[in-house]
Amino acid sequence: MDFTLPDEHRMIREEVRRFCDEEIEPIAQEIEDEHRFPEEIFDQLADLDVMGVPISEEYGGLGGDTLMYAVVAEELGRVSGSVALSYVAHTSLASKPIELFGTEAQKERWLTPLASGEYLGGWALTEPSSGSDASDMDTTAEKSEARSASERSGAAAEKDGDEWVLNGTKQFITNANVAGSVLVKAVTDPGEGYGGISTFIVDPEEDDGFEVTTVWDKMGLNASPTCEIKLTDVRVPEDRMLGERGDGWEQTKKTLDGGRISIAAISTGLAQGAYEAAKEYSTEREQFGQPISKFDAIRDKVVDMDRKIERARLLTHKSAWQYDQGQSVTRSSSLAKLDASEAAREVAEEAVQTLGGYGYTEDFSPQRFYRDAKLMEIGEGTSEIQHLVIGRELGL
Amino acid sequence: MKVLVTVKEVAAVEDEFQIAGTSIDETYLEYDLNEWDDYAVEEAVQLQEAGIADEVVAVTIGPERSEETIRMALAKGADRAVRIWDDALEGADLLDVGAKTAILEKVVEEEDPDIVLSGVQADDDGFGATGVSLADALGYEWAAVVNHLDQDSVESGTASVRRELEGGVEELTDVELPAVLTIQTGINEPRYASLRGIRQAQRKEIAPKTLGDLGLDAAAVENELELTDMYEPETESDATYFEGGPDEAAGQLADLLREKGVGAQ
Repeated sequence: MDFTLPDEHRMIREEVRRFCDEEIEPIAQEIEDEHRFPEEIFDQLADLDVMGVPISEEYGGLGGDTLMYAVVAEELGRVSGSVALSYVAHTSLASKPIELFGTEAQKERWLTPLASGEYLGGWALTEPSSGSDASDMDTTAEKSEARSASERSGAAAEKDGDEWVLNGTKQFITNANVAGSVLVKAVTDPGEGYGGISTFIVDPEEDDGFEVTTVWDKMGLNASPTCEIKLTDVRVPEDRMLGERGDGWEQTKKTLDGGRISIAAISTGLAQGAYEAAKEYSTEREQFGQPISKFDAIRDKVVDMDRKIERARLLTHKSAWQYDQGQSVTRSSSLAKLDASEAAREVAEEAVQTLGGYGYTEDFSPQRFYRDAKLMEIGEGTSEIQHLVIGRELGL
Repeated sequence: MKVLVTVKEVAAVEDEFQIAGTSIDETYLEYDLNEWDDYAVEEAVQLQEAGIADEVVAVTIGPERSEETIRMALAKGADRAVRIWDDALEGADLLDVGAKTAILEKVVEEEDPDIVLSGVQADDDGFGATGVSLADALGYEWAAVVNHLDQDSVESGTASVRRELEGGVEELTDVELPAVLTIQTGINEPRYASLRGIRQAQRKEIAPKTLGDLGLDAAAVENELELTDMYEPETESDATYFEGGPDEAAGQLADLLREKGVGAQ
């Protein structure tokens, strides 16, 4: 049993960390204050081949494994939860499903620009009245006779055949206002339950009827856009359906298996960033004539942070490794996500406390990690849903 | 055209460390590519990207551990690397300029490059002499502390360079190739290694060579220098604040400078 990262992964971690420290960390608070999506950072990440880490080289990706992807996501999270969140939504939610379930033509058209970082992607499952009960959705896709080719929108209009007409509202969609493609879940066969959901590739630029109705102001992660989108008679040709009709829910479950590893990795990074800030401060800040790290109260906080981060990282790497071995990761990714997201919130909170009054100011990073960490217990399956998933896996 | 870049893995100490005799325990050390060499690698890779250099070879003197650092040069675009290590080197406390020159001279003879790029100095021992000493041994021309290289000139067989001299003075000069240029920081902006570059670097060659492979024996690297002591210099800060108007403050400053010996005949 070998717990050391392979050389290649270690080298990638070091170089990504250097990039993060030099290019992202200096603007991490500023982009939050301005609620600004840092496009220039993603351009640079694309140049460094970061945007398609776990995607095959054939489609413009790096051809790395899930462990490598988790290492990169953690490093981004260590400096900016926002950059990390937009990155993982792009990778594991918007890109990976096309690689797993797309046709050759779909991969060439839709996956290559995502994996090479030409633009970001999004994924739309949640709706205003459908969150944890995700399959209970109102967005519909109805088949319709094709109109004349000239009337149809999009680059795929040359193909003759029927069209799908999408209607509905999707909520809390990461990257929707900066995305070149969004994977939309919609009911194609009402009454079929889980088997009645399908996935469509929607082009926010080209497809008429796609509208971003809200960009939310949030408790944290404000440099990563979270949107409400409205689909009004969005007509897409048949070749925009991802996989088979009715596969949408099965795809969702597989996608979220990988998505949970992403959130676990970001969470580990957030915790690591908060821990480093707290550790540094505790060894420099002197009270009663000595560094505060020499007091049991503060030392124990920092030690607990280290313990929780180590645990979160081990669970995350184990799940990523299992994914790479082709094993089922439902339980391990759920455990990792549940544990790492709690660790991130707890570590960040204690980091704020360690810095005292300074920790409560925006001049120091712990408050940012604290705000960002909270989302990790909510997004891609709340902690409560993770308990449900793990309970099922345990046969309870 | 072939470019040879000499690179070195350097050790940096953590904030808190302890000295034991004439060494610092490994636990306090972090290894990285020498900063100046990072600029030299970038300059070489840019020559390659401009279609001027056909091959960039990195050469280092270092133990197996240093491969991790040297591989970063390969990730950034060097084609292959040569690593020289030997039991005789393992046993040495300190490798002086003469020893490094003797080794690198053999490598240069074997590789026969058109240009050798070398960092001005190494971050750890900081002799700042290896590049020029190597040029001297080889009978090559050289330019030290280069902060600009005219790439087009290289193609015509002469390197037009700008050198940094003391006191903010710079010199423009031409050196005939083959030559050794010692590269100053700031000559370019070293890139981040792309992840694809890092992955490809895992498969690039780092050829290990011993002194014997280069036709040298242990005597060639015997040091004139001996490490006798290692200690942390006392740091002290001494600030004087002058009160009063400009005239008064200038007078006080003049007194102080005189007292410290500035301007003394």
